[in-house]
Amino acid sequence: MPLHSTVSRLVTQRRGAVWLAVAAMFAVSLLILITRMKLDTEVLNLLPNGFESVEGLKLYNRDFAQVRELTFALVCKPEDVDKLEDFAPEFAESLRQQPWATRVLAGSPLETPEGVRDLQAIAVPLLLNLEPTAFAETISVLQPDKLRERLRRLREEIEAGSPRPQIELQLDPLGVVAPALKPFAGNAAVEEGQPLTSPDRTMRVFLVVTNQPTTGAFDAQKLMEDVNAFRAKARETWDGGPLEVLVTGRSAYVSEISLSMRHDIVVTIFGSVFLVGGVFYAGFRRWLPLLGMGFSLLLCCVVSLAAGLLIFGELNMVTVGFCAILIGLGVDFAILVFGRYQQARDDGLDHAGGVDEAIRNLGRPVFFGALTTAVGFLALLLSNSPGFTQLGVLVAIGIFLAGLFTLSIFFLFIPAKSRPLHGDWMFAGVKSYVRWAVRNPGRMLAVSTPILLLLALIAVLPKPPLIFDASTKSMEPKSSDAGYALHTIMGKMPMRWEPAIGIVRASHPQQLHDYWQQVAAHWATLQESGKIKSFSTPAALALSPNRARANREALARIDLAASRTALEEAVAAEGFSPETFSSGFTLLDELGRAAQPNAELPDWRTQLPTTSSWWFLVDRYFAHDPLLTTGFVTTNAPIDHAQKEMLTREMAVTGVPMTLSGWSFTLADLIPWSHRQLIVISAFMAVFEIGLLALLYRDWRLWLIHIATLALAVTAMIATMKLMQIPLNLLNVLAFRLVLAVGVDYGIYVILVWQKARQLEHDVAGVIKPVILAGLTAVAGFGALGLANNPTLGGLGIACAIGIFWSLAATVFFALPAAAAAEPKIWREETT
Amino acid sequence: MFRTTLFVYLALLVSFAHAEPLAPADVKTLLGRIRDKRAASPQMQADFQEEKTMKMMNKPISSSGKVWFQSPNKFRRELKGNAPSTTVSNGQQLWIHYPKFQSAEKYTLGKRGPLDAGIAAITASLNLQDVEQTYNITASREGAGHVLQLTPKAASMKKMLQQFTIRLDEGLQVQRTEMLQPNGDRIVTTYSNESREAIPASQFEFTPPAGTNVTTPLGG
Repeated sequence: MPLHSTVSRLVTQRRGAVWLAVAAMFAVSLLILITRMKLDTEVLNLLPNGFESVEGLKLYNRDFAQVRELTFALVCKPEDVDKLEDFAPEFAESLRQQPWATRVLAGSPLETPEGVRDLQAIAVPLLLNLEPTAFAETISVLQPDKLRERLRRLREEIEAGSPRPQIELQLDPLGVVAPALKPFAGNAAVEEGQPLTSPDRTMRVFLVVTNQPTTGAFDAQKLMEDVNAFRAKARETWDGGPLEVLVTGRSAYVSEISLSMRHDIVVTIFGSVFLVGGVFYAGFRRWLPLLGMGFSLLLCCVVSLAAGLLIFGELNMVTVGFCAILIGLGVDFAILVFGRYQQARDDGLDHAGGVDEAIRNLGRPVFFGALTTAVGFLALLLSNSPGFTQLGVLVAIGIFLAGLFTLSIFFLFIPAKSRPLHGDWMFAGVKSYVRWAVRNPGRMLAVSTPILLLLALIAVLPKPPLIFDASTKSMEPKSSDAGYALHTIMGKMPMRWEPAIGIVRASHPQQLHDYWQQVAAHWATLQESGKIKSFSTPAALALSPNRARANREALARIDLAASRTALEEAVAAEGFSPETFSSGFTLLDELGRAAQPNAELPDWRTQLPTTSSWWFLVDRYFAHDPLLTTGFVTTNAPIDHAQKEMLTREMAVTGVPMTLSGWSFTLADLIPWSHRQLIVISAFMAVFEIGLLALLYRDWRLWLIHIATLALAVTAMIATMKLMQIPLNLLNVLAFRLVLAVGVDYGIYVILVWQKARQLEHDVAGVIKPVILAGLTAVAGFGALGLANNPTLGGLGIACAIGIFWSLAATVFFALPAAAAAEPKIWREETT
Repeated sequence: MFRTTLFVYLALLVSFAHAEPLAPADVKTLLGRIRDKRAASPQMQADFQEEKTMKMMNKPISSSGKVWFQSPNKFRRELKGNAPSTTVSNGQQLWIHYPKFQSAEKYTLGKRGPLDAGIAAITASLNLQDVEQTYNITASREGAGHVLQLTPKAASMKKMLQQFTIRLDEGLQVQRTEMLQPNGDRIVTTYSNESREAIPASQFEFTPPAGTNVTTPLGG
């Protein structure tokens, strides 16, 4: 017995058994979804593997403390700047009181007594890390004569009214801390360019490290709930005009993105179901088949998601768009199958005969349609992006299941007795068009061909350009509070952009020190030559055991007791109060201990209190593993592809293993990958489809018509995106291959049917209506993705909707008349 | 005991008799009179004597010299004595020159840093134009003159200055200023021989002499 007969017998005569199988499948899939559901919200997993910059970014996001950092900003009206200045310390104190805040940076640490005290606490290791000549020069100020001379001069400067001695004595009574900080200060150029107050004083920025337990989405949501509750109350004591309390940072983004996933799932699924259902009902005016189609596709989604979970262990956020894509694609099969079934019933066949006829006639086109679409999506495996790989595999599984279920389970919902469809205006319209186009193919082509060629011309001409947006903004969620906060901060601060980062991992402290010494020296030459604007490295904090040893030997030769006596005498002689120099005496004691060869030096990390603002600086450079570090390079202009190439060439230092990364750097690095996605893989897809079509038609004229249809559809899509100024981004370039995969199906349905057709009304007009309906539902299904907050998903959906629209238009208005012109057939009125 | 009580009582009586707080409207009128007088002659020069009581020093530091001022923010101070120095500001830059050490410090103003707040406090006493925008002001009449109490409005100023007291004579010339800082430091300056003669512009410019070591302690 042929396969189509076996299937039709099963779904018409063994309905109970089929229902049981469906229930079992549904139950198992649901069980898997409930027990194993794990969502991957990491946006970086959308980027391809195998790129050093991407791996560097993941490493930076995972291992550095900035992952738990939030940036708050208070923004007021210009007339309230003085009030903001008064309010800022109060706000900072409120932040410090929050149970989720580990430490807060509200200004330069040097402006607070705690910041000065913390710095003095780590002065000895920094001092011992100086280059031996610089150390000897620095430590020479402890000679009694020099101490006396320095204090005399400081007093005279105070008499003269200079502010300098007060500042100096507060931070560095002995005169040795400042030289120890010199390498550090020299490297802090990037930080100096990032003040915490905007130049117009209408914005104050506060950095907060939180105690978020993990970097996962649920902890981020919980933290942001607390943060938003704090934001709501933070303005209570503000007595000025409107005051914005903004917050941004990784946790803010992760929380928003993960919450928007829920929105995206609901909106895109319900949007798809509503739009697709509306088009189906408009075409067939039947509820039960619509329900059957919905159920079959729901089953496809559930089974595919369960399969995806079993294969990958977790589902990436981009796969939330999977259901909408599957509904948009799978509905094609249901519409075609039901259209053919209805036609068979209208011709007088009974229910079983109609089912058999539909499966027999459409089994092959649905198989090939599913194959081309599945291959199109499986090509996402070549993107090397974990998120898109999942999407491709899930859709490929889903589309095969959609083909299978619409040729079987779908029929369970079609009643054995059904009334014929009267007054089908859509079919009447389609039939009129097909009749006219078949009789006058030249006239139709005279209209459609110039339009499509004009669009093709627009597509290939350099102007208007196709916008390619590789900026970080193109990856941000729509209407994102965190994004708004970030852009407000960036807009109000002096011109700056995100730096490139160089990540260095060493196996021991001395190696880390040596690496950064080399890197700092090399980057300094780049800065001098103007190739980079500034740089900042952890060189000053990457302590060298070798230098410490040598400097301790030199320190042991200094008579620190004599220094102490001289200091006491000079303080008294110049009239200074002893309290002014108390930290200096403490430092002398610590130097005395360090001078003893067997004494163990305390680790500066343990000397610095956990609440110290200096950790903001330290954490910027050091990961949780102190041997994993990063340096920053600010370019003279935002990082584009040329800048990225220059940085790749220039930042590297021979003998120092360094991973170059940063968001802007990575996105610039991915542009060639993105172009490769657009050109090479789409070309690969085209070659596959060209071969498949040649095999299918075995007729060079029809084959050529189909190829021309596909080419015109893709160029019309590009022209539309140019004219409507819809940008391509790093990820919606994948739409081209999807459009090729989906668009080729419409051509197959129409041209294959034309090739075999004996009765044009039955075979051609009967398939054009479902194809139009299928095309419109696919456009609606993909268009529904445009409602998603996730820009990747939204951009992909819009681009696909445009492409599929043009595929449909080219098939109906170009492929059909062209096939009629190439292989004319006579229209016979059977029913009128 | 009785003598002491009597003394305190009399002192208070005398004090109250001399210090008559002015109503806000009168303060406004007084500031208007000062503004008109300064507008008529926007420059001044005077000798001064200064006493600084600082937390970091055991004893107060006394110094004397001459000051030149041009409204709104140009000034020059020349300090005599053991450690002579010249401080010059043209409104954008501030120089402090130490001839004895052949060195000079250069500061850039207008960055809204602590230095600007300090300079604003210094020039406020000499300028007194639009001071009500920057300070909360109370005033009282003392004898033939007036005493103004200025407390800063802005937080950046509050970090530098807690209170500023200015004593004016009957001609509304500054006689004495007292600056109290939040850390307890106090600077009392007494002015004498005030003149409102024109001052050449070059007085507010400074070019370091050859061989002078120039530093920028707070950056360029």
